[in-house]
Amino acid sequence: MRALISILSVVIVAVMLSAVHPAFAHFGTITPSDDIVTQDDAKTLNIQVKFIHPLEMHYMEMFKPKQFGVVHDGKKTDLLATLQAAKKKSLSQNNQFTFWTADFRIRRPGDYTFYVQPTPYWEPAEDKFIVHYTKVCVNALGLEKGWDQPVGLETEIVPLTRPYGLWTGNLFTGQVLLKSQPVSFAEVEIEYLNESPGNINIVVPPADPYVTQVVKADANGVFSYAMPKAGWWGFAALNDADWKLKHDGRDKDVEIGAVYWVRTRDMK
Amino acid sequence: MKILNCLFVPIFVSLLFSGTALAHRVNLFAYVEAGKIYTESYFPDGIPVENGKVLVYDSQNKQLLEGVTDKKGLFSFAVPKVDDLTIVIEATMGHKNSFKLKKSEVEAGK
Repeated sequence: MRALISILSVVIVAVMLSAVHPAFAHFGTITPSDDIVTQDDAKTLNIQVKFIHPLEMHYMEMFKPKQFGVVHDGKKTDLLATLQAAKKKSLSQNNQFTFWTADFRIRRPGDYTFYVQPTPYWEPAEDKFIVHYTKVCVNALGLEKGWDQPVGLETEIVPLTRPYGLWTGNLFTGQVLLKSQPVSFAEVEIEYLNESPGNINIVVPPADPYVTQVVKADANGVFSYAMPKAGWWGFAALNDADWKLKHDGRDKDVEIGAVYWVRTRDMK
Repeated sequence: MKILNCLFVPIFVSLLFSGTALAHRVNLFAYVEAGKIYTESYFPDGIPVENGKVLVYDSQNKQLLEGVTDKKGLFSFAVPKVDDLTIVIEATMGHKNSFKLKKSEVEAGK
């Protein structure tokens, strides 16, 4: 009965959301099966790479990313060949959409920053391409080193708050970089991943502005946001690329996003 | 009120010390390669545990050997026994932690 109620509530919420507003913020996501690996945990992580509306739980078709890798102990490892295509849809969607998944075995202590550079996504509604450079950090075996280092992507968020071991309500602070330079007054969109593990109550926004939270960075590109619920939170700083891509023979703008994901847990 | 004060002080002091211990938590990581067991001992920020005592126990809790970490927090030794091993690091001020190396891992690295 409880299962039925929760399924029904998901359907109702999804229908309500899609009726209220057809175009929510797009987010690249990269979520690992565990964000803090201790010596008793499984050492093989499953990592899922998606392009979705996190709160609305809508999937979008994702081509194979251009880059997928991990930085550990200052060294980059290309993991593109490990990606496998998978399909999923939200309850309110009719078709299945492609996302990507990979297994990764943790062998050493330290921070592992996973990153993805997707293939540009053509968004007809906005008449532009979207490329979300997305990152997440996994800590392993008690060595808390590496999380504050940039990967060196065209644009990225570099955390100023250690991005794991966060309680619900913690403030997350990060810096937005574009070509390694801080982006003054960058606009950062924040969304809660409604599909977060352990999220038993699907979040129903009372009005549109609750879906995507918006904060602006300061002159040094530094922003903060306090996360009010347990689960995964995505931070996306959006900028326009200084390059174009062709669509039907015409030059189109490219939105490049710097996206970072962190997980919070309730204090209990 | 006096009683409360009396209670508060020890609680505060114990919190103070537990906080220090956490911030200086030691860790040991071990892996097996070509018949040797390599250990690395470190604080959370990556600073090596220098001159830390490493103790190796088998599944019956019998001590097999002990050693001392070098400047890089490293200590290695030949596989003493194919068994579930517990490797303990003891740093100064009673900071201590352990790492379990499964028999299967020991066997695979022999």
